[in-house]
Amino acid sequence: MIQLQRVTKKFDETTALRDIDLTIEEGEFVAIVGPSGCGKTTLLRLLAGFTSPTSGEIRMDETILANASKVVPPEKRDIGLVFQKFALWPHMTVAEQIAFPLKHHRFLHQKRAFSSMDAKVESMLQLVGLSGYEKRMPHELSGGQQQRVAIARALAASPQLLLMDEPLSSLDAALRIELRDEIQTIHRTLQPSVVYVTHDQSEALAMADKIVVMKDGHIEQMGDPTSIYYHPATPFVATFVGKANILNGVWRGEHFYPYGHPSFYWVVPDISDAFKEAGQCPIRPEQLHLKRSGEGLRGIVENVSFQGREMYYTVRVGEQRLTIISSAPQMARIEEEIVVEWEGISNVTSSNRDKEFEDTNQARNIFK
Amino acid sequence: MSTMAMKGKGEVRLRERFISSNQWFTLSAILFIFILFVWPFVRLIWMSVTADGSFTLAHFSQIFQDAQFWKMFRRTLWIVVWATLGALLLGFVYAYVIAYTDVRGKKVMQLLLMMPFIVPSYILTIGWTQFAQLFQINLYSIGGIIFVLMISHFPLVFLFTLTMLQRIPLELEQAVRVSGGNQWTVLKQVTFPLALPGLVGGGLLAFLTNLDNFGIPAFLGIPAHITVLSTAIYQEVVGFGPGAFSRAAALSAILAGIALVGYTLQNLILKNKQHISETAPVVTTPRIPLGKKKIYVELILWSSVLLLTIVPLLVLVKTSVIKVYGLPFRFENLTLSHYQFLLQDTDKVWNSLQTSGMFAVITVALTIIIGTALAYVRSRSNTLTSRWMEGMITIPYALPGIVLALSMILAWMEPLPGWNPNIYGTGKILILAYFTRFLILQVKGSAVAFAQVSIDLEEAAQVSGASPFAKWKEILWPLVATGVSIGALFVALTTFTELTVSSLLWSSGTETVGVMIFNYEQAGYTTYTTAFSVIVLSLMASVALFVALLLRMKNKKRGGMIR
Repeated sequence: MIQLQRVTKKFDETTALRDIDLTIEEGEFVAIVGPSGCGKTTLLRLLAGFTSPTSGEIRMDETILANASKVVPPEKRDIGLVFQKFALWPHMTVAEQIAFPLKHHRFLHQKRAFSSMDAKVESMLQLVGLSGYEKRMPHELSGGQQQRVAIARALAASPQLLLMDEPLSSLDAALRIELRDEIQTIHRTLQPSVVYVTHDQSEALAMADKIVVMKDGHIEQMGDPTSIYYHPATPFVATFVGKANILNGVWRGEHFYPYGHPSFYWVVPDISDAFKEAGQCPIRPEQLHLKRSGEGLRGIVENVSFQGREMYYTVRVGEQRLTIISSAPQMARIEEEIVVEWEGISNVTSSNRDKEFEDTNQARNIFK
Repeated sequence: MSTMAMKGKGEVRLRERFISSNQWFTLSAILFIFILFVWPFVRLIWMSVTADGSFTLAHFSQIFQDAQFWKMFRRTLWIVVWATLGALLLGFVYAYVIAYTDVRGKKVMQLLLMMPFIVPSYILTIGWTQFAQLFQINLYSIGGIIFVLMISHFPLVFLFTLTMLQRIPLELEQAVRVSGGNQWTVLKQVTFPLALPGLVGGGLLAFLTNLDNFGIPAFLGIPAHITVLSTAIYQEVVGFGPGAFSRAAALSAILAGIALVGYTLQNLILKNKQHISETAPVVTTPRIPLGKKKIYVELILWSSVLLLTIVPLLVLVKTSVIKVYGLPFRFENLTLSHYQFLLQDTDKVWNSLQTSGMFAVITVALTIIIGTALAYVRSRSNTLTSRWMEGMITIPYALPGIVLALSMILAWMEPLPGWNPNIYGTGKILILAYFTRFLILQVKGSAVAFAQVSIDLEEAAQVSGASPFAKWKEILWPLVATGVSIGALFVALTTFTELTVSSLLWSSGTETVGVMIFNYEQAGYTTYTTAFSVIVLSLMASVALFVALLLRMKNKKRGGMIR
């Protein structure tokens, strides 16, 4: 188990990480997502031992890895690391890359011994599907193969913690999905604890047991993929992970009045207080539907893009642009006036007369 | 991820290392570097503005009132400026043709054009004087000095502009063509303007090297009583008259001042250059197919390259086997007796080869360790401290060699009043001077090697459990060995044949190769100097070949992987 307690990291004046509390259970796959500059890479480098915390403590089981006064260097930690750009040593064969940690790693003696170096290298290569590539040099491999070797190298010494720094972002789209599945299989087979840093929320959703969403050096939300996706705690999480539209409006309990319309509302359960206090409601693109007529928001289609399985629409409602994904074949054209419906329950009541519903004319214009 | 973000990450890593580095170690390293690399020049300036311990500008005013000085000063500038312009023109033309057209054998040509970097300029001078004599041309003249300087230094401009030209994106030129411009418009509108910063930078480099050069004006100018600043300082010091050191110090300050201006200008221009095309990829595909004219261009190009690089060396060999200087080149006039004399009848030549060889080995041993360590620090932490360190180390190389030599005398003759550490007048001062002058060459050579080893590779070794020692032995050293060795070879060959610094710092028993050839030349033993030059050149070639073979063997083991 790896524990971070109130870890803070400052570079000169800027605070890269603020009061991070995080626990990584044995065998757990933790994805850290966030935009660039959110501190996720700093967090990874703290776990690896390339930097030291300004305050706070990092522990692996009972040993203190780092605090403000003491740091265990990377080579003395029971870890493996997969780099964004592979970082294979250009002068070594594939077999030598994988044998390197077997020769140097400090924690091997505590673990299940392997019969011979060659056998271990061979079994690692088999694991990543590169049997027979022992003698190749890195420049003779494709990008995907290089990253497989890097994964085999990082796991060869069976580290307690595997760190992955955007391991798929140097690869092209098709390869990303393929390798993503493979990393999951490998994780199920070897069961190391994994900390996986990425800016791609779909990778995190697909692979992780636990997602940590970071912003400006602190943890915005932490939880399993479904709760993060369906119950975002903040507008940032909703937009970054769920790519949600954030609609302004007025809340009455679970009733949301889009754009402050006095009598038209949606029933939206399980929305966190952060949204309600801000008078906002997160609606994911697939939760909205386009109709030619009916009850809903009136909008104008600004852009249509065909994505194969789905259509992506950009619809202007009042002054906001909403993204809507529909699986139906194209049903609206650019410049067309349409109605946007929410997938849940919508209702009409007698008009509210509270101050909050003041901009009625504009709101009425939006409703059809 | 955007490049901006990547840059930010890099900075974060670097700053960290600086904080964690041992402050005491850093401080003592800075002090050490200051004393070795900067203090001598402080002593020199001090010497030039004091008389009997009190401040005075008398040395300068004396010099400035001397009409002879102004004549010499104007002559120096005249020679340096014309040699620079010549080198620029020649360098640009070669670079343009080799970078852009489809002539054959570019690689060999490039290698040949590197020769004047390795062959010491005084040996080239001897070759050219012999060659010119065949046509009854006297090179012991201002024109001769300009010519040999130009020939020696145009490869600098050539190399500098070559990569510059190859980095100009092909698309920019194609854009001119599809917009209706011809090849001439391309040259005028794209190539030349974009290459201009590189050309100016290369020109200033040639200017500095011309100003610094001592061998050529010493060999050609001293016999003809044509002095320039560098030889004037030399003559002042070896003349040893009353007040000689003070006058020489003042002259050195003037020479150093000019060099400093040139150096600053060059740095300013190169800084700007990096915005344009430093990161652009080098395009080596020919851009101008010559068609039918190709064979003629190749003929002119090849014969001129051979003339400029090989022919003077062949003439050198030819003169060295003539029985009596001046006899026609016929079989019955040939002899190896000069070689026999040099190698058997006098031990001075052997001694000088041994002295220079030993100095070169010691200098390389020092520079390879310290220079590589500094290059590592510099490539991994771009902090103010490391930039300052590099700046200080650059000074003895950026300033003219003769200025360094005088500074070393002043600094180490009596470093503290009443304390003579017995460095001046022994071989130690030569080693110290070579070390300070050439350290930057190793730093630059090793830095290029480290720049190609991404920090990820080191970190991958660390997380694999490698100790710092194992990391260096198994990852870093194998990856930088080729680059570091090439840098070390360059330092070794340059030290072995050094003349400028040696000419002032040698003492009886520490005559170096350069000094011996200089002495023979001044005494008029032309056949001996040529034979000695041939011996030196063959030794250099053997060492270079040996290192090249070693590197090839090392890289072959790894399937020809060179990084």
